[in-house]
Amino acid sequence: MIADATVGPGHDGEAVLVVRVRHENGAHDSVTLSAPAARKLMDDCDAKDLEDLAGQPWQRLLSVLET
Amino acid sequence: MLDILIRNGRIIDGSGTPAFMGDIGIQDGRLQQVGGHITAEARREIDARGQVVAPGFIDPHTHFDAQLMWDAEARPALEHGVTTVVHGNCSLSLAPLKSEHRPRLVGMFQQIEEMPDAAFNGAFEWQWESFGDFVKALRGQIALNVAPLAGHSPLRLWVMGEDAAQRAATADEIAQMQDLLRECLEAGAVGLSTSYVDVDENLAPVPSRFAHFDELDALSAVLGEYGRMLQVVPEFFSTDITLARVDQLAELSLRHGIPTTFSPLFDSALSPGNVTRIMDRVAEQFARGARVWPQVQTRPIDISFSLEQASLFFMAQPMWYMIQRLPRAELLEKLQDPATRKALIDAAEPGGMTLAFAHLLIRDSRDASLIGRTLGDLAKERGTTPATLLIDLSVEEDLNIHFLSASMGHEDPARVGPLLANDLVHVGASDAGAHIQSFATYGDTGYLFSTFVRDGGHLSLEQAVRKITGDTAQIWGLRDRGLLRTGMAADVTIFDPENIARGEELPVNDMPENGMRYVRSASGVDTVIVNGELAWSAEGGYTASRAGVIASA
Repeated sequence: MIADATVGPGHDGEAVLVVRVRHENGAHDSVTLSAPAARKLMDDCDAKDLEDLAGQPWQRLLSVLET
Repeated sequence: MLDILIRNGRIIDGSGTPAFMGDIGIQDGRLQQVGGHITAEARREIDARGQVVAPGFIDPHTHFDAQLMWDAEARPALEHGVTTVVHGNCSLSLAPLKSEHRPRLVGMFQQIEEMPDAAFNGAFEWQWESFGDFVKALRGQIALNVAPLAGHSPLRLWVMGEDAAQRAATADEIAQMQDLLRECLEAGAVGLSTSYVDVDENLAPVPSRFAHFDELDALSAVLGEYGRMLQVVPEFFSTDITLARVDQLAELSLRHGIPTTFSPLFDSALSPGNVTRIMDRVAEQFARGARVWPQVQTRPIDISFSLEQASLFFMAQPMWYMIQRLPRAELLEKLQDPATRKALIDAAEPGGMTLAFAHLLIRDSRDASLIGRTLGDLAKERGTTPATLLIDLSVEEDLNIHFLSASMGHEDPARVGPLLANDLVHVGASDAGAHIQSFATYGDTGYLFSTFVRDGGHLSLEQAVRKITGDTAQIWGLRDRGLLRTGMAADVTIFDPENIARGEELPVNDMPENGMRYVRSASGVDTVIVNGELAWSAEGGYTASRAGVIASA
């Protein structure tokens, strides 16, 4: 599931969203989303706040990554 | 008689060996003598006392493709000491390209590299379709050397038409792409560029992303016939996928005997293990004999934004984030509504955002006196808060004011310095000529010397010079450049090691149709010589020289 999300720097000078995912075995990984992808994730999760992303299933990221 | 004699220089030859004092003689575009005391007469003498004499710098990741068609000097790259640029990166090149595909390619350039339409339409005449004719259009017209890549996306468009952005290629189409790539390499291309992440102006994947591995394998086989480079933009948003790409590039490198390079790779406190894990894998693959060069930029990452376009910068503050997504007219109205203003300002104060607001710089404004000032300083002067000032200025300037949060990533010299010094790291990824309305992509070489040699001591002067000259030439197979050796091409940069640096970032209106871009001037660079001709000097500025060549030919 999504553990948390933080705004960070993108190489092209735009802010990006770094989403940390916690796997069932306890391992963590992170995925960096561009602005359009991050907005879609927020919308898909009906999130008003970054904190609303915590606990969402990691599968939410699949369609977002195609953005 | 020599054409140019450089006297009394501290010669750093690009190989990494210690500097030595001596003269350099240049004749017929070649280094006629390096070192020693030269007594021969010369048409031009340069006294380099107290300065370093180095090979011209080579920038391996630029997007000067279009700019060079109307700006022979790729300003301001040349005045920073750059004498050779690689363009055609990230799957995008201006050739080979059928005329009916030009709008498609321009759309990709606009989306990915943030280059304005005027840079492609009206600023120059498209005189080519083939790579050979493209190279012909450059010859004799450029002041610095170009090492052009052929882009995978136009290659696919040429062979597959619109299907290029919809499906994998057939065996016959792959064979046609191989023939086309061979033509490009024969005409002077230094390799092939491809991308796994980029999208076009409709946010659809660019053609290169539809290629299956067998296509890239077949094209890499052609690169192998010439020993040429494969440049890749991997899925850098995920460490694990990037690791898989490193392995894939290593297989292609070993199978076809080619060098490969990927970018970007940068340090961020939010993904602290990213660089370490990727560099460990790169080292493993180099130990197997593969060549997978990660390109790392020298400059920190700045984030810029205006309230006109929703930026993730405000995502941690829901109130600001939501209001920014409103339609323009509604947003302007809300920003002037007392209740909304109060709510926004209150939201900015307690959550730690006050500090962030105070450090924001004003990047461009109708009022030139505001540019470069922090909201914190200005707010103090005006007896208000930084958040209030951000709102007020945005309203006053009808949202056409941009702010910058500096050094948001890749900003810690203690972490970036050792990375740049790593023998397996290819210093590059400047993106020069791209993102021109967001930030300046020039002066990374000056920043390398000022921050990581002078201030941090992470690299010696000789190491730093080698990283952007001899190493780059060797990685890319530019046999005639990157070193100060007798008989080699006379690309020379003379600079003051105590003062070389990048200047402040400034907006200028020097693009076609008076378009705006951000630039940085150079300081500490004294003289730039390209193929034995004076191209730029601090004293005289740019010359009329057009001695640049296709560096791969």
